[in-house]
Amino acid sequence: MAASFASRCSRVGRSLFGGLSNNSPGLFTTSHEMTCNNYFSQQQRTFIQMRTVLKVVDNSGAKKVMCIQALKGKKGARLGDTIVASVKEAHPNGKVKKGKVVYGVVVRAAMQKGRCDGSEVKFDDNAVVLVDKQGQPIGTRVFGPVPHELRKKKHVKILTLAGHIA
Amino acid sequence: MRLEKCWFCSSTVYPGHGIQFVRNDAKIFRFCRSKCHKNFKMKRNPRKVKWTKAYRRVHGKDMTQDSTFEFERKRNRPERYDRNLADNVLKAIPKIDKIRVSREERHHKNRMKENEAKGQREAKKELEQSISLVKAPSALQQDPSLTLPKTIVKVSQQKSEENPLMEE
Repeated sequence: MAASFASRCSRVGRSLFGGLSNNSPGLFTTSHEMTCNNYFSQQQRTFIQMRTVLKVVDNSGAKKVMCIQALKGKKGARLGDTIVASVKEAHPNGKVKKGKVVYGVVVRAAMQKGRCDGSEVKFDDNAVVLVDKQGQPIGTRVFGPVPHELRKKKHVKILTLAGHIA
Repeated sequence: MRLEKCWFCSSTVYPGHGIQFVRNDAKIFRFCRSKCHKNFKMKRNPRKVKWTKAYRRVHGKDMTQDSTFEFERKRNRPERYDRNLADNVLKAIPKIDKIRVSREERHHKNRMKENEAKGQREAKKELEQSISLVKAPSALQQDPSLTLPKTIVKVSQQKSEENPLMEE
């Protein structure tokens, strides 16, 4: 809701400024953008639920995937949970095609997850690694950092494929 | 258990506090509290934010190079537990802290040295100029020991000018 309001105010602001001053549009728009950036950075990060689009970070062929169902969790999936998803965007020749229903493990979540020592971790984006029904990853490589919460959830194979463990 | 440093303000993050943010290039940013986290999200540069240690180091307010800092360097090699070593380390920590604090105080004192002479000069000037706020000028004229030698002002002219102003 805050994001939509911010985008609306930015559109109005830009049209106003465009009309008023043609000399230094850069100055005005950047200052207004900065205030809108403050708005955006106060986003409330929430669970991964139905219709959430996630990035795929393995080489299974899919690029973007939309969550259909979060297995386990009334409100949604968090870091380390599995989800059922539908492939929305895929590489032309890959193991997984567009429109396929797949399972995935959330390896990066923008919502903070509490760790057992009391601290909290959060990542930059929402990312998923596609797995089969048994939990084995479909792809052979994983990109970007992954949390070590996966070890507790028994996704050891993903951890071995990962380049960096957060 | 490890005591980390906050990325923004450089204070220690104790277990159970703070948030760590992992960027997609696998760089981890640890924050001690939401104040530092929010400043980071605003993309503020800690070297320009006055209350951070980074600012103070860059602008010479705090000590930058000292041998006591070597003790706090991060060592990634795990040490085999040795009871004597652990005992010695625990004994040494307060001593090193004391030395570091005394060195920082000395640095601060050196930085503030010029203020003393400056304060004296300003006090002298204020005495010369505004002594009339403390003692009436006529009293000063009658008893010259109350003033500094140079500054006696001819008061009678001023008084006659003041009176018509006050009447208005």
